[in-house]
Amino acid sequence: MSEQAPDDPAERGAVREWLTDAEGAKIESEIVAEDLDLRYPTSEEAVVECDRLDVPEGEVTALVGPNGSGKSTLLKALSNHLEPESGTVTLDGQDIQTFEQSELAREMGVLSQENESPGSITVEDLAYHGRYPHRGFFESVGPEDHEAVDDAIEMAGVDHLRDTEVGQLSGGQKQLAWIAMVLAQDTDVLLLDEPTTFLDLHHQFRVLETVRQLNEREDVTVAVVLHDIAQAARFADNLVAMREGELYDWGPPREVVTEQLLADVFGVEARVEYEPELQILPKRALSE
Amino acid sequence: MAGSHSIDSSTEQRHSRSWATPRLAGFCLAAAAITLLAGLIQVSFGSYSMTITEAWQSVFDPSILFDAAVWNAFLLGGELPEMANTRLIVWNIRLPRVLVAVLTGATLGVSGAIFQAVTRNELASPYILGVSSGAGLAVLLTLVVFSGLAPFLPLVAAAGGTIAFALVYAIAWKGGTSPVRLVLAGVIVGTVFQSLQTGVFFFADDLGVVQSAIAWTTGSLTGTDWEQVRLAILPAAASIVLALLGARQLNVLLLGERTAQSLGMRVERVRFLLSGVAILAASTAIAVAGIVGFVGLIVPHVVRNVVGGDYRRLMVGSIFAGPALMVVADVGARLGMSFLPGFGPIQVPVGVVTGLIGGPYFLYLMRRQQQMGEI
Repeated sequence: MSEQAPDDPAERGAVREWLTDAEGAKIESEIVAEDLDLRYPTSEEAVVECDRLDVPEGEVTALVGPNGSGKSTLLKALSNHLEPESGTVTLDGQDIQTFEQSELAREMGVLSQENESPGSITVEDLAYHGRYPHRGFFESVGPEDHEAVDDAIEMAGVDHLRDTEVGQLSGGQKQLAWIAMVLAQDTDVLLLDEPTTFLDLHHQFRVLETVRQLNEREDVTVAVVLHDIAQAARFADNLVAMREGELYDWGPPREVVTEQLLADVFGVEARVEYEPELQILPKRALSE
Repeated sequence: MAGSHSIDSSTEQRHSRSWATPRLAGFCLAAAAITLLAGLIQVSFGSYSMTITEAWQSVFDPSILFDAAVWNAFLLGGELPEMANTRLIVWNIRLPRVLVAVLTGATLGVSGAIFQAVTRNELASPYILGVSSGAGLAVLLTLVVFSGLAPFLPLVAAAGGTIAFALVYAIAWKGGTSPVRLVLAGVIVGTVFQSLQTGVFFFADDLGVVQSAIAWTTGSLTGTDWEQVRLAILPAAASIVLALLGARQLNVLLLGERTAQSLGMRVERVRFLLSGVAILAASTAIAVAGIVGFVGLIVPHVVRNVVGGDYRRLMVGSIFAGPALMVVADVGARLGMSFLPGFGPIQVPVGVVTGLIGGPYFLYLMRRQQQMGEI
């Protein structure tokens, strides 16, 4: 299904009622957001308005759009960090507002855009914090926690940095350490806010490959905000393109990424090639 | 957490993940040794002269250490059995002052450590959220205006601090709080209460009252005895245990509010409860020693520099380092002036000494560290 921005011409075809896979079977959505009106306490107007958004189970969904289009805000609502003015967000059919905080944290891992930690804790310490929602107040770490942390550290590829203090790491290594923390949380759903921004190319790939691996091996549902549409198109199963706080289009990259979209949403003139694989060749910025 | 640590040490060994490092153990031992040494100096000297051997023999006198009647007198306020003069001076006058210093040091250290995590600011102190100005105002009002309440001065002071803290929280609250809002609200309440304090001073017509008020607002251990120990020991123990239990929560809180929430913490609730523990600790110290500055600020700092930022270590370290600083400072406050020519045995408030230690320490830090402020 795809809810279209009201001002979007019907050129993208009729609104799809349900998302279907290649065989036409209906795909279950892990997260569904409906009739969202999101605003910050300081703002009078809605920052994001969205009729419906689906994050399909077991797939990677990327939210893309220019700066200020509301993608991070939308992600905050999906992760219960921002209470919608109106509308609902459901996880497995249950309103996320009705979850206990720790219950939600066992279902859904969230990595914010900017993370700070005391510089003197080690990568391993950080990863162990991911076990927080699984431990009671008086419970100490058990074998399950050790196993989850070992797996997470291995999957994030930071085994060699285990005992290094977070303050000593490069930006890319730091991000991988934080990824290890959310992986240790061992959740079915993972929401990531611009995990590759400010990283060098090598670490961008490392982060995305880790997430992809997690999705394939453990069937984890992923929603990720990316600002590089080319990267998103290569990496994600679905794209959600946002413009000025509204959903512009929604669907698999091949359907969503068009020259028209790049002009409308990103304000760039670009050529899009679909064969042999989806490729975006930006040319120049369009005047506003 | 702290208590459960020994239980799972076998599984932790596989990962060599014990937080209790040799460095922490060494630090705590050193701090304990300093506390003991300064305490022994404190009991050995004073206007009633005795030899060091006499004094130390009194402290470790088994006939007192293992006498239930004596402890009943000290801890429960019963009748004190007869004892020799030196014993009496050491046990009934000098030693309780050392113990009060130990309790104040530990509670202030713990309180400062918590507040630094809650506000995510290593320059925060137990008094940052209005506690000192609230307590100070309450003391002044009691001494100058409501003199009938004077017997309850310690409790009034603690209550004043707690009320100021509640006020700060109410001001900072706007659908939730944040470290910055809390600190700003603390400044607001502190400024107003400070002005009121100064105003109340003008209504004091007795020099004795003014001196007593100054002793309270700078913090002083002069004249403390077993009654203060009895008053402080239970709340001090409770707040220390709660602080140790909260260390893991503080660690997670330090990852930032959003991360803490994503990890399933009810941030507002935890922050409020932990602040409450810190207020309990600070109030305990205020009730017996007045507003001793700098201890709650420096202690977590020193400990962090030695054992690192993990709050399980930091908390344990603060419990040992606080008493060391406080007892040493009180030796200076009680005996320091007698070494200066022309003064004789005058005692100064211990808060004066902690300030004299604290200022240069921060100057040293400022010169040495690139960044200060955020943890």
